[in-house]
Amino acid sequence: MTMPMIEVLKPGLETCVQDYPGRKGAFGMGFPPSGPVDHWSFRLANILVGNAPGDAALECQFIGPALKFKAPAVIALCGGDMAAKLGGAPVPLWQSIAAEAGQVLELGSALTGARTYLAIAGSIDTPPFLGSRSTFVLGDCGGLNGAPLEVGGEIPVGEGQGVPGRKIKQSCRPAVSENHRWQIEVCAGPNDDWIDAAGQQRFLKSEWKLSPKSNRVGFRLEGPEWTFTEKATNKAPENGSDPSNTIDHGYPIGAINLCGQTPIILLHDTLTLGGFINPFTVPSSAFWKLGQSRPGDIYDFELVSVDEAQARKRAINAMCSEDSIEQA
Amino acid sequence: MIYDEPKFLPGGDRFIEMELGDELNFDLNFLVHSLSAKIREAEIAGLIELLPNMASIVISYDPDLISFADLKSEILSHYRNMGSLEDMELLSPIYYIPVLYCDHVTRACWEDYCAKITEKEYDSDILVKLNDLDGYAQLARIHSGTEYWVAALGFYPGLASLIALDPRCRLTAPKYNPPRTWTAKGTIGYGGSVTCVYPANTPGGYQMIGHTPVPVCDIEQSLPAFKQDLALLRPGDRVRFFPVGREEYDYIESRVTAGDYVHNVAHYAKFSIRAYHEWLGTLDMKERF
Repeated sequence: MTMPMIEVLKPGLETCVQDYPGRKGAFGMGFPPSGPVDHWSFRLANILVGNAPGDAALECQFIGPALKFKAPAVIALCGGDMAAKLGGAPVPLWQSIAAEAGQVLELGSALTGARTYLAIAGSIDTPPFLGSRSTFVLGDCGGLNGAPLEVGGEIPVGEGQGVPGRKIKQSCRPAVSENHRWQIEVCAGPNDDWIDAAGQQRFLKSEWKLSPKSNRVGFRLEGPEWTFTEKATNKAPENGSDPSNTIDHGYPIGAINLCGQTPIILLHDTLTLGGFINPFTVPSSAFWKLGQSRPGDIYDFELVSVDEAQARKRAINAMCSEDSIEQA
Repeated sequence: MIYDEPKFLPGGDRFIEMELGDELNFDLNFLVHSLSAKIREAEIAGLIELLPNMASIVISYDPDLISFADLKSEILSHYRNMGSLEDMELLSPIYYIPVLYCDHVTRACWEDYCAKITEKEYDSDILVKLNDLDGYAQLARIHSGTEYWVAALGFYPGLASLIALDPRCRLTAPKYNPPRTWTAKGTIGYGGSVTCVYPANTPGGYQMIGHTPVPVCDIEQSLPAFKQDLALLRPGDRVRFFPVGREEYDYIESRVTAGDYVHNVAHYAKFSIRAYHEWLGTLDMKERF
C-alpha cells in the first residue's frame, strides 16, 4: 500500500506529531506521556475527518507550518485561529475540508489562542515508540525522528475515508478567551499542607501571569510570594534547605510545582520527579485553556474538588464524540 | 519515620500521591518498591501506572474505571498484607559499571562551565574536602567500594537515583548553582547523598566525579542489553562501579561503538533485608576504605 505523504515547506514553531492520551506505561522509567496540550480541540479535529479521537495529528504552536499535500486528503483544523489558507483561499476552523494533490496549506501566527490542531483522514503514520506516536522533544523520541517538523521532511499518512463538510456544533467547541484572561481549575494537593492558610488564599485570590519561559515541559507563573507552614520550614535535612524542597518524589501531570518562589505548572512533557513540593494540581479539564493561552495571559485559579474536576472532564469527553457533528 | 497509616494525597483528577513516610531511609524505600511490585502484580482495573520514589508512590488512574476511594482501599489492603519487612527478599540483579575517575570528558565539561557560566572548584576537589578524604584515589576507592541500590528511576528517561548500601561509603556533595546547561552522557554524578549515571546528554546539577563508556539507556536499543528494554536499571536493582584505567576505558568504549559490548550483570543475585540488617550490625563505622 502506498503512503500518501505530506511535504514540509515551512516547519512552523515546534510543530509536532502528537496522539492522545500519549505514552502510557513508561512514566516510571522517566518518559512522561506527551500528547496534545489542548486535547479537547485535538480530539474534535480527528472526529471531523473520521479518525479515532486519539489518532496521531499535528500540534501547531504559535506559528503554524506550510505543508504540501502529495495526494488528495480530507483535513480539519481546530483550536486557535492561525488564518489558514489552502491554495491561497481562507480555510474555516472546526470543519472538515478536502485538499487536492499538490495544494499547499499555509498557517500563519495565532490570531486567537496559541495552538491549532491539524488532523488528516487516515491519521499520521509515523512509527510508534513505546506504544505512542507522540513526540517527546526533550527525550529525542516519538513523532518524526523524535523532533519537531523540519523543512523538507515528509509526514507519512495512512489511508483514510474522510468526508468534507462536517462541522463541530458551536456549543461543543472550547471557547478561546478573547481578553487574555482565563479561569483555571485547581485541586488542592498533594502537598497543600506545606503552604499556610494565608499563602493558599493568596494563591487563589491573586492574578498569575504566564511567563515567556514556558513550554510543553512546564508553564512558569509570575505572581506574589508564597508563605509556608512549619512542615516546610522545620524539617529533616534530607528534605533540602529551601522551604519548597522535599525528599525526591514523583510529579503528577498538572502539578503546580513550587521551585523556591516560582510556581511551574507541569505539562505532558514534564521531568517525572524531583525535590520540590506540589501544593496544587491543575486537572485535565483545564488543559485546553493552558493549551490556548500565551505568555502574558492572566490566570485566576478556581478551587474545585476532585469529584468536580472528574465531572468536568467527563463533560468534555462527552463532547469529543460524533454527537458534536453537524453538516456545514 | 515510616507512617503507621500511609497518606493518600490527591493530585488533581487522575493522580494520587501515596506517602509511606517522610525520610530518606533504605527500609522505607524497600517497602515502596515491594509494595509497587505487589500493586503491579494485582493488575487493578483502572490503575494506569506507578512512579515509585524514595518514600512515596505517585499513582495514575482512570477515574471512569475506579474511584479514588476504591483505589485507596484496594492499595491499603495490599499494604496491610505485605508481612514483616525483615522477612522480605527480592531478586536484585547487580550491574557492574566501569568508571574512569577524574576523567578527560567531565574535566572538559567542568572547564567549559567555568569559562562560560561561572568559576567553580573542580568537582572531585569539592568531594575530597567535604568528605575529609586524602585525595582522588580514596574518592575512587570509596565510591567503588559499595553496592548501590536503585532507589528511584526518572526525572529524565533511564536516570537511576543510586544510594550506597554500605554506610561507610556514603558521601555528600552540593549541587551546581546555577545548574549546567549540558552534561556528557555517561557522566558519573554525585549530588546530596545520591549518585547516578547520566543516561544522555542533558542539563544537570550533580558534581561530576568520573565517566563510563557504558550506556544505561538506549532508545535505539542497539546493544544486546537493550533488546528487551531501553532502560538498563529498575528500582530494586543494584549497581557496582569498578575503577578502570584509560586503556581499559578506551577498549570498552570501542566495544560499545562497535555495538557488541556485553553488559556485566549478575542476574541471579537476591537481596535479603534480614541479612542486610545483620551485616549492618557488624560494621565499625570508624573504618574507612
